[in-house]
Amino acid sequence: MIEKQERLTAKKFWQELAKGIVITNPVFVLVLGLCPTLAVSNSLNNALGMSAGVIFVLLGSNIIISLLRKITPNLVRIPVFIVVIATFVTILSLVFEAYLPPLYESLGIYLPLIVVNCIILGRAEVFASKNSVTLSIADAFGVGFGFTIALIIVAFFRELLGTGGLEVFGKQLFSIPVLAESPMSIFIMPPGAFIVLGLLLAFFRMIGVLKHE
Amino acid sequence: MVSEKKTGFGTKILSNKIYPIVFLSIIVFVAVLLLMLVNSFTQTKILAEREAKVTTVLQKIYPDMNDFELKEDIYIILKDGDVIGYSIIAVGKGYGGDINTIVGLDKDYLVKEISVLSNTETPGLGTKILETFFTDQFKGLEPQDVKLSKDGGKIDAISGATISSRAVTDSVREAMEEKLEIIKSNNY
Repeated sequence: MIEKQERLTAKKFWQELAKGIVITNPVFVLVLGLCPTLAVSNSLNNALGMSAGVIFVLLGSNIIISLLRKITPNLVRIPVFIVVIATFVTILSLVFEAYLPPLYESLGIYLPLIVVNCIILGRAEVFASKNSVTLSIADAFGVGFGFTIALIIVAFFRELLGTGGLEVFGKQLFSIPVLAESPMSIFIMPPGAFIVLGLLLAFFRMIGVLKHE
Repeated sequence: MVSEKKTGFGTKILSNKIYPIVFLSIIVFVAVLLLMLVNSFTQTKILAEREAKVTTVLQKIYPDMNDFELKEDIYIILKDGDVIGYSIIAVGKGYGGDINTIVGLDKDYLVKEISVLSNTETPGLGTKILETFFTDQFKGLEPQDVKLSKDGGKIDAISGATISSRAVTDSVREAMEEKLEIIKSNNY
């Protein structure tokens, strides 16, 4: 009996995790958290750093908010969520500044802005405040990885077209000679973010529609 | 009467009118404690990191330097005890926040080299203030020439990043004017 129940939660754990990545992908399906998606997807480095930050904050806030869900008064739940999220973001930015200064500098203003990332507040309100800690952890990883994958896809196209090559942690992965000589710089500038994200959203929408037919 | 019996101690607290206020206060208090703790752990590392960065930049501007003194926010660059230059830190308001620039002056009070220490400008646009084609324009200038060319100076702004260019240029000039007075009057 106990074993069966444990297996059931394990199954649910993986279900929640997969759901966040594919079915309710925060960026491509729910179209949430577009500010960081547009702003820090200009290079793979920034995309990975931002994703790591968001996963850390999401995991921390989901765990704490889920733990407090039975004693949090409904009246002040949003301020409580914000305080919890802001605490984790501040911890993150202090740690980044102390131990990863180059990444801290390149993320710049977008690091403190994780506080108002609606994906994190959204998960707190919709999921963590109503579900057990284990499921909230699964949800945080699922949604976090979903966000990561989306950011990496956008950053891949932007960096490739905008600089003619790809670079991760200071190591050049590869570069296309013709593109590197005269890169389409518009793709690493803000308009490029809208163009790439728009085309990707259209593409994923098309897949969804074709599947239904 | 019956319903009163059913409500336990826990629900009595939860339904109290001031409970939300108390709860939120406790959460904020715990958050502040936690942040103080993390801050105390990272503070020394962050300060050391900044200090080390300033020293490496100074070393790059003055390859001959073997010591420096810090007086009234002015780095006095020394070589075997002789003054070979002065460095100051200029703070300007950029497009995305503060831009901190180290201004290296030679002993004739002309700009030797500038180097942007930290910035939160737009990547790919404003961050071009870091590149040598922009910073090299400052070399050998007197304070009154450190202005954008459209403001009557000798610095060409970066196209698409006028705010960042102006922030660096104006902050460098203002810092020079302010600190040169101190340097000259105190005979550093």
